[in-house]
Amino acid sequence: MSRAAEAVFATPVWAVLPFAAYLLLIALLPLFFGRFWESNRNKLLLGLLLGAPVIAHLLGRPGGGALLAQTALEYVSFIALLGALFVISGGIYLRGSPTGTPAVNTAFMVAGALLASVVGTTGASALLIRPMLRANERRKHLTHLVVFFIFTVSNGAGMLTPLGDPPLFLGFLRGVPFTWTLRLAAPWAMVNGILLLLFALFDVRAFRRDGGHAPLPGPSAPAKEPLRIEGSLNIVWLAGIVLTVFACGTWGPTLLPNAHLRCVAQVVVMVALAAASYRTTARAIHDANRFSWAPIVEVGVVFVGIFITMVPALSFLEERGATLGVTQPWQFFWAAGALSSVLDNAPTYLTFASLATGVADHGAGLLSAANLGMLAVHPTGEQLLAAVACGSVFMGANTYIGNGPNFMVKAIAEQHHVHMPSFFGYTLWSAAILLPLFGLVSRIFF
Amino acid sequence: MIKDVLVCLESSASTEAAAKTALQIVKAQGAQLCGLAVIDEPNIRAGAATSIGGASFKHERDEALLAEARANAAKCLGAFDRLCRAANVVAETRQIIGKAGSSILREMQAFDLSVMGRDANFHFETEDEDPATRSYVLHRSKKPTILVPAAGQPVWKRVVIAYDGSSAAKRAIASFTDSGLARDLELHVATVDDDGATAWEMADRAVAELKQRGFEAALHNIVSVETIPVALLETAVKLGADAMVMGAYAGYRLVERVWGSVTTDLIDKTTISLFLQH
Repeated sequence: MSRAAEAVFATPVWAVLPFAAYLLLIALLPLFFGRFWESNRNKLLLGLLLGAPVIAHLLGRPGGGALLAQTALEYVSFIALLGALFVISGGIYLRGSPTGTPAVNTAFMVAGALLASVVGTTGASALLIRPMLRANERRKHLTHLVVFFIFTVSNGAGMLTPLGDPPLFLGFLRGVPFTWTLRLAAPWAMVNGILLLLFALFDVRAFRRDGGHAPLPGPSAPAKEPLRIEGSLNIVWLAGIVLTVFACGTWGPTLLPNAHLRCVAQVVVMVALAAASYRTTARAIHDANRFSWAPIVEVGVVFVGIFITMVPALSFLEERGATLGVTQPWQFFWAAGALSSVLDNAPTYLTFASLATGVADHGAGLLSAANLGMLAVHPTGEQLLAAVACGSVFMGANTYIGNGPNFMVKAIAEQHHVHMPSFFGYTLWSAAILLPLFGLVSRIFF
Repeated sequence: MIKDVLVCLESSASTEAAAKTALQIVKAQGAQLCGLAVIDEPNIRAGAATSIGGASFKHERDEALLAEARANAAKCLGAFDRLCRAANVVAETRQIIGKAGSSILREMQAFDLSVMGRDANFHFETEDEDPATRSYVLHRSKKPTILVPAAGQPVWKRVVIAYDGSSAAKRAIASFTDSGLARDLELHVATVDDDGATAWEMADRAVAELKQRGFEAALHNIVSVETIPVALLETAVKLGADAMVMGAYAGYRLVERVWGSVTTDLIDKTTISLFLQH
């Protein structure tokens, strides 16, 4: 690109580098410097270090301060929702032990697939993985069970509402209507339907290898204890979350025209619901779920750096979207998916949604990455956004690091002595099962 | 003669058989006995690619698996101690923290003989089976190792020496006879070759080698349609042998990876103890 052309754009290339570097470090540091990455202080320092030049750059630009303030508010809303869902789903415990037959396991998966869009993929995974492992603790071959759980419950299932997966909530925070995600029901049904069918076939085969009869109930739950939900008051708090998010998206602009005030009100309600859940949940339920604040604190800390460094990257893509060569929905699906596989899918979604804004807008300045609601109703933009959403959500399942709950499920399974594949072993599973399936999705829908 | 014996401890049935075999050896030879348990903390804590929010789950997983590994090591050492007391043998116990393969190998080099369960799994927290640690130490150890399957007999009366003329096989004979374990045993030399004359010639050399060291042995030239490991094991079982002596991993690693290894096959299929010398 010539110097003259460069000068037209407000965001310099260097301003994108901290974002790229931070995402790379998030992927690589746990692998090579695990001890360093365990410390939240180190994560925060790293995020602030990489964020410092971005903050300086933004403060030097007209309107940069307001953009930063807007980003901070968005961050708080995002973490408030994740935190509220985390606290509330951590207060629900499934007690009892059904025996892990293929029918019961498939029922668990179906329940997870339906639940994920309401409590989020992380909440559904945390709620169901332990009871499912308990139900199967006498069976020998369980790797497929956990792998398919990650494919569906931890990823593909959370597509139908903004609560389902963090990328969709980020889209909602930037104006995508609450019910817009329902238009993704067809790819959602196809991906999850095929995965559930494949899972049932795998599980029947594994069940036969394990002797072909219902295993004895495990020692941790007696056979006669029926499956029941403890902490059911949390379902009320959960309904409160769904209602709040829905109301903010649907009636919010009328009731509270000031977007900042609306955001603050939403955060206050989320925090109140989370606090109510925490106060009303019995300690025994939190203990049974091994509830700890550590994961959500870690998410909060890491996303500080992501939100700061992301700002110029999104502007960059918005400005130059039309010149980058990614223009078709199928390209957005695969590009967003490929990046979601190795980086977290939430920033990936916003990155490609910004790019889609630039592409759909053709540089006319009518669409903005700050208001994706416009993109969601734009004739071509809608298709691009759907491709980005599907790519980001579905392909978060491609690796252990693509989406938050993937590694959580793996770690819990390993504590239950399920032999889990290595990083590359898991990638082979996803390459064999998910990539052909995504090829089909791409062919049919994009 | 053997002065000291190391037993690598974990919780498989084959390790219990290994401990009993080691006890018999130290009682017969008046040697010192040491039981070793390894906590493979580096393997449990090894870095892993984690998703955002995953570091705390990894930390929780690592701590849980580490606590289990510690409890398991303590249990194994306790069981070994009780076994030794019951047999009136004074034994030392050691618990070390480190990578299973390299830690065991380092300890093995300080002992005249090591005894290990064939199905020993030093990575039970994360793996269903652990042939890697076994393979690591057997490929590198300069000292002899006895590998005991769960059905292995602690007292030996009859032993088959598998001989293929390799330097590893010669070292195995030397190491076995020097150890004092061959004393008072009924020895058989078995060779397998398509060419009968070559096989007899090979067997003769083994018997001559043994004679030079003061031992008599019967000769067996095996002609079989089965693979070498199966043919050897069938002969051993037919003779009622309690153990087999052999040179281990004499070939190149690359050849092993492509064509497989007689030693690995024998280890996987054996129902009797194997005295191995790399």
